[in-house]
Amino acid sequence: MAPSDTTHRAAAALRAAHDDPLLHARDWAARGRPVVGYVGADTPVELITAAGALPVRLTGRPGRDTRRARAYLDGAVDPHTVNLLAGLLAPEGPALDLLVLTHDCDASVQLFHTLRELRRIRAEELPPFHFADLLHLPGEATRRYNLRGLRRLADQLGAWRGAALTPAELEEAVAAHNTARAARRELRGRRAAELSGADALRWYTAGTVMPPGLYARTLTEALSAPGTPPPGRPLLLSGSAHDTAAVYDTLEAGGWRVVGDDHDSGDSADQPPVTEPTLEGLAEHYTREVRPATARTARERAGAAAAGVKEGRAEAFLCYCRRHDDAHRWDFPAQRAAAPVPSALLHDQPYGEIDTTGLDALSDRPATEVAS
Amino acid sequence: MTGRQRLAAAGAALSHQREWFAGTRAEAERGRPLALVNADAPQEIFRAMDVPYVVNQWWASIISAKRMSGRYLEALRGRGLPDDIEQYSALPLAEALAPRADDAPWGGLPRPSLVLAECTGDSMRRMFGLWESELGVPFLPLESAVAENVPTEWWTLMRHDWESAVGPARIDLLEQELRALVPRLEELTGAAYDPDRLAEVMALSNEQAEWNRRTRDLLARAPRCPVPVNDVIPAVMIPQWHRGTRWATSAAENLYREVSALVEKDHAVVEDERRRLMWIGRGLWFDMNFYRSFEESHGAVFVWSMYLALAADAYARYGEDPLRALAARFCAFRDQMYTPPWSVEWYVKEAKEHRVDGVVHLISPDSRSSWFTTHALEAAGVPVLEIRADNADGRSLDPSALHRQVADWIRALP
Repeated sequence: MAPSDTTHRAAAALRAAHDDPLLHARDWAARGRPVVGYVGADTPVELITAAGALPVRLTGRPGRDTRRARAYLDGAVDPHTVNLLAGLLAPEGPALDLLVLTHDCDASVQLFHTLRELRRIRAEELPPFHFADLLHLPGEATRRYNLRGLRRLADQLGAWRGAALTPAELEEAVAAHNTARAARRELRGRRAAELSGADALRWYTAGTVMPPGLYARTLTEALSAPGTPPPGRPLLLSGSAHDTAAVYDTLEAGGWRVVGDDHDSGDSADQPPVTEPTLEGLAEHYTREVRPATARTARERAGAAAAGVKEGRAEAFLCYCRRHDDAHRWDFPAQRAAAPVPSALLHDQPYGEIDTTGLDALSDRPATEVAS
Repeated sequence: MTGRQRLAAAGAALSHQREWFAGTRAEAERGRPLALVNADAPQEIFRAMDVPYVVNQWWASIISAKRMSGRYLEALRGRGLPDDIEQYSALPLAEALAPRADDAPWGGLPRPSLVLAECTGDSMRRMFGLWESELGVPFLPLESAVAENVPTEWWTLMRHDWESAVGPARIDLLEQELRALVPRLEELTGAAYDPDRLAEVMALSNEQAEWNRRTRDLLARAPRCPVPVNDVIPAVMIPQWHRGTRWATSAAENLYREVSALVEKDHAVVEDERRRLMWIGRGLWFDMNFYRSFEESHGAVFVWSMYLALAADAYARYGEDPLRALAARFCAFRDQMYTPPWSVEWYVKEAKEHRVDGVVHLISPDSRSSWFTTHALEAAGVPVLEIRADNADGRSLDPSALHRQVADWIRALP
């Protein structure tokens, strides 16, 4: 079945949302509705939606002037997060009614601490923000702690909009995000055979900046006709998360095709549905099912590498680490051992870029390590 | 009077530590369970179970002081693991993964029966997980939680009103984790947990903290600095790792009495004390003599390191329930030294109370919020020299260049 105009339009809409991450936020705000930015792969977006706001995951912009932000976020902090702070500090930054941050990785925590201190010493103008400290060890203590944190965030969102969140609003929000999850599951299942890696990432990313129901409909429409992926040697990508397709575009222009990825913005966005539309249900979901890369063990990531290679028929495995987002390097030996294909580790990579010289090693040799 | 003789408390602590480690090592080799525990994790639980433990960062400091860090870190690299991330915490793992050799520090760390660490940052859980996956040593992780809001002057609240300083959510979390941890520890070690024993351990450790507070206050008030910081560090930190024992409490008391006597006698590290300096950051383990190398040439003495100050302010927790008090001791421990506003306001308070002329601020690659620390000190009128290096990895800086840099900065102080 050939793609219809509707399918093309849906794909274009997803691409537009990726290319202009505030597109839908502006539209939402123009209709007088609040926009809540968020930082963190494990943000409980259902609560934001239930509060009547549009949850928009903040994205960086390669090339942005980050000098002022880097001064505050000193030390070994992921340049992606520094870029986010630079966006928040810029006069032309996103017009947010509220910002929510989570503990998905250390850089997000550092960003929160930096914003909190900048606010305390009154060094910068900032939007109001809340921190949701969702944690991910498997114990019951963690689930209880997360439930408490979700209750607190729900109360904060209720106070912010002037009315408590109702069970009906939460149920409706959970249903909307579950439709988005179902569409993403379909995307995950078909990406390797039907899409370039860059388009798959764009389509995932669109889901973090569009209203969930609209995203589900658009993605479903875009997937309604089988696609034909561009040629390229299949590659499984791990390591740092990507909020733009820049690195994917470079890889694929160089003869690769990213058939799968285990970072927090890629295939990990494929989550099971929230089964109980309550705070207890969200606590269970965000403790056990939404686990950022930092919360997964080396063994789990090695297992994912082996499965990803098999599912995507990948011929090579790449662990890409941005400078200061290098904790993934602890997992690489286990991933390398588990993935039955040539493997490479690139670390110290700049945000939004990749030094592809190290990829030559993926031709035959089993593994290598390259730092720019 | 001035002099370079070592503090008796430092010498006694160092002797005790060697003796203790030799005994612990021998017992471990005979099969007694041994735990390796991160510095910011609740070691008292092991004390209450009579399970010996080695503190990960203390052992890293020994490796570094013996200048073995480079060799061990190469062993990590040889396995494809990073040798340039969190080296301080990674050194004991690196040693365990390196080929055994006769020149291991103090005979080498015996293979622990378990490792315990809080999941701080992105690396800690992965790094400690390698003990389990590579060496078969069970890893028991604890969460590292973050509070949204905290009162600023934690040091006025922590001893008695820690519930409001830390907040109940984080305390509940760690308390529940500890309750779940105890049966697992009992299973792994064969030892029994005794809540009454924990109460004794907490009482002793609180007493130790009080002696440390007296010593810190004494040093802050002394007209001239009576003791070198590189003596104070071992005199405080070695007993710190034995927290909850009568020996450690006595050692803290002995340090206080010795310092007190020196102040009485108007003893000074530098007769003509012209500059009082503060060292913010971890100890420069591979060159502890650095701290004394500006005394004769510049009349400059380091009067402060975080080790005594933390021992004075950061550990004491009084309360009816010892397990909850223990949770309160550790669930926000790192925030006290690394997270603003707690860290920065505390450093400013300490700088003022110690009347320092300048701060040397060591910024390790994993340091947190260092801009705010420097900014707050400078806003308070305290000059700051920032140094970027890893404290445990001697490869990361040139000692002579560092010395020149600090010497030039001291000369330029107003």
